[in-house]
Amino acid sequence: MIEQLLAAARCADALWRREERTAIAFESGRLKTAGIVEEAGVNLRVVSGGRVGVAGTTAAAPDVDELVARARASAELSEELDLAFPPASPLPQASTFFERAANASLDQLIAMGRRLVERLAREGCQVNVAIEREVGETMVGNTAGARGRYPATGVGVTAEVIRIAADDVLMIYDQYVGADLPSGDALEALARSIEMRLEAALTIVSPPEGALPVVFTPAGLAAIVLPLEQALSGKTVLQGSSPLAAKVGEQAFDTRLSIVDDPVVPNGPASRPLDDECVPSARTPLVERGIVRGFVYDLETAARAKSRSTGHGRRGIFGKPVIRYTNLIVGEASDHVGAQHAGPLRAPSLGGGLIADMEDGLIVDDLIGVGQGNVIGGGFSHPVGLAYRVQGGEITGRVKDAAVAGNVYDLLKRIAGFGTDGRWLGSRWSPSLRLDGVSVARR
Amino acid sequence: MKDRLAAALKTSRADYTEIRVERTWSSAVTFRGRRLETATVSEDQGGFVRALDRGCGWGIASFTSLDELPAMVARAHELSRAIRLDRAIRLAETAPQVADTALDLDGDVRGISLGEKKKLIEAYNGAMLAVSDAVVDTQAIYRDEVSEVWYVNSEGTALAQVRPEVTVSGTAIARRDGTIEKGLESIGLRKGWRSVHGLEERFRVVARRAVDLLDAPRVQGGAYPVILDNELAGVFVHEAFGHLSEADFVYENPQAREMMTLGRRFGKPVLNVGDNGAAKGLRGTLSFDDEGTPTQDTPLIKDGILVGRLHSRETAAAMGERPTGNARAMSFRHPPIVRMTNTYIAPGRKGATVEDLIKDVKLGVYACGAFGGQTMLENFSFTAAWGHMIRDGHIAEMVKDVVLAGNLFQTLDRIDHIAGDFTWNQMGGGCGKGGQFPLPVTEGAPHVRIEEILVGGDV
Repeated sequence: MIEQLLAAARCADALWRREERTAIAFESGRLKTAGIVEEAGVNLRVVSGGRVGVAGTTAAAPDVDELVARARASAELSEELDLAFPPASPLPQASTFFERAANASLDQLIAMGRRLVERLAREGCQVNVAIEREVGETMVGNTAGARGRYPATGVGVTAEVIRIAADDVLMIYDQYVGADLPSGDALEALARSIEMRLEAALTIVSPPEGALPVVFTPAGLAAIVLPLEQALSGKTVLQGSSPLAAKVGEQAFDTRLSIVDDPVVPNGPASRPLDDECVPSARTPLVERGIVRGFVYDLETAARAKSRSTGHGRRGIFGKPVIRYTNLIVGEASDHVGAQHAGPLRAPSLGGGLIADMEDGLIVDDLIGVGQGNVIGGGFSHPVGLAYRVQGGEITGRVKDAAVAGNVYDLLKRIAGFGTDGRWLGSRWSPSLRLDGVSVARR
Repeated sequence: MKDRLAAALKTSRADYTEIRVERTWSSAVTFRGRRLETATVSEDQGGFVRALDRGCGWGIASFTSLDELPAMVARAHELSRAIRLDRAIRLAETAPQVADTALDLDGDVRGISLGEKKKLIEAYNGAMLAVSDAVVDTQAIYRDEVSEVWYVNSEGTALAQVRPEVTVSGTAIARRDGTIEKGLESIGLRKGWRSVHGLEERFRVVARRAVDLLDAPRVQGGAYPVILDNELAGVFVHEAFGHLSEADFVYENPQAREMMTLGRRFGKPVLNVGDNGAAKGLRGTLSFDDEGTPTQDTPLIKDGILVGRLHSRETAAAMGERPTGNARAMSFRHPPIVRMTNTYIAPGRKGATVEDLIKDVKLGVYACGAFGGQTMLENFSFTAAWGHMIRDGHIAEMVKDVVLAGNLFQTLDRIDHIAGDFTWNQMGGGCGKGGQFPLPVTEGAPHVRIEEILVGGDV
């Protein structure tokens, strides 16, 4: 299909992707649903008269001429762009496919889910577990001669424990995401992570108030990382709305903070040998020891910004490629950044070893409404979904009806500590971070 | 198509089978800053089969290749049989429905050229950019679709529905040095081309607001009396109560069922809440849900007391209640789950205005517009687009970053005044649940006063 499209379109690139997902869902401890999803489609981008257009289809036998015509019609309305497709080049190794995951039977997935349900079962709690296994194949190519083709597997396991006691609703959630099936140890770590947070949450204490030290767990860190993800996107830089645009080479953050995007991490949830625009995968340092190093680009954004694509083009079946991070690693600068996250699983600890000297403060594990404010500005303000009070270096219980607020760019200038609890959460790796002077409001 | 589905249905050996096939034609034009980003026309199609054998689980198959339909019917049955349940899944009785329904296309978007659509959204984008040099970036999106949905099940229901949708939305980013603010406009309608003209002023207003916010201080954190405008009050009822009235959150959990017992008081007698999937011409409106159940107006809270909830056929049977037509699926890629449609707070005393709600507030917050909301059932957030302080009964200075922290058992009960100025807020975007986002929904409300609620911010 790709070859036919490229031949018909002359100056173009295209992506074909097929995915098969198998999913099972346990609701309140009972397996209730088993399902499959089979999806295939093609996305074509053409350069026609110096303009770029796209078209996509999920039709089983796409009409090549119709698709090319539709992409050209889309190009007619576009603005001129000098878009050069990358030539063929060697691709790095990326472990995207695991036989074990691809061949796992429905019964195996069910058995895995059942073990997790039994492990998490407790009186008065509702346990929901879902497992999804994906087997896919991607082909990309362009008229400059580049080709890429790779199979991929992906496995997601999510577990949720809901405890309702009178009018107190407690929801605790965790997940495993990887290219391979989770090991027994990984599933045990998931169960213990939920248990640990559940047990500490059974006591409810009143929230503190004021500018306080707050430990953001890897899950709680979402609100802190999101503005950085937006600001480090070449698109935001090009549009003039990134607060980091003019800061390349400057010390914008604490000297211990590093952020790197790494598309070739072994078993990384988002690893792949090349992006969806035929650009070979490579690590992209974004922040090194607090200094802004660069941004992520796809082909079009790079062409407009007179920069180079970093291999972060992601395309769906419809629409044109957009910038997307792969495996984003946020952590303490060291000579081994990138090595630490491949280490063995650690026993989970709430607070990541950052609370011993904390007189009064919070551990924030989940915030509500992340992504819904004025994210790009760096300011955040969210009610806590799951948070614990720390007093005299100890966790004293869960707090409700409190809200935390601050500005990411101010708070990250001085990081009070990096936790020893680094972990993957989806395709982001990070430890807990302790930030001092976060505003905590209560009712 | 119906015949093809009926034939496939006949091959099924499962006790219950349903098939849904969709063909969606859509187009989109996006501007970013002064530049056109994309102008595309797309066609998406696929099918969904769900099978259920007695004493077994749900077997589901979703696929893009319609040639696979008979194989997928067999596959769904096989998946159902792979699951044995001690307590069988039951479906509440519904009368079989046979109908062809087409919602008003109001100017079929399929007949309008991409160039025309570009011109329209370019004008709205230009309106935002022209407001001020401080507007450094914009995003303006025109999107439309016409979805044809065919549905059959083994109980005799056979439906063909045409569902149109059109959305125009704009984001304006204003910047001065390190301060960056945004304004957001979004209009989503279950209509067509004729319904999205003459909206320049609305786009200008949000760009101006983004610029104004550059000079606004952040709101001081703490508990305040808060007046919600219509738009935010709609988001509030969706997050505060709508999600918890979805029966799939409670039907399998005895403690949750107890917490949500019908007859329990949740608010003062002024509070009336409902969900109306049959309301005319709204974005969450459908003739039938994705299990073939007719939609209806379902009262949820009456005079402050819990009187109903939203159901699929499965949750209704499990709780001994009646299906309400709220089983909805984002697309053929997803199973139907219990969702809201058009959720509302009914208007209060006729003629009661926002001034009546504000006049005896000494220090409070007037929270306006919505950037979004999210719930964890008991606790929820809703984020205003902007706000004003209320001082001595009058609207005072503008404030920004107004995020409200609600609690189901406290916040609803603190609603003490509801104005008479009800409006439906037909925004684009939609609701997310169970990996299905964005499902088109509408919210409607008048101005609402909450005696006291936590506002996040510096303290």
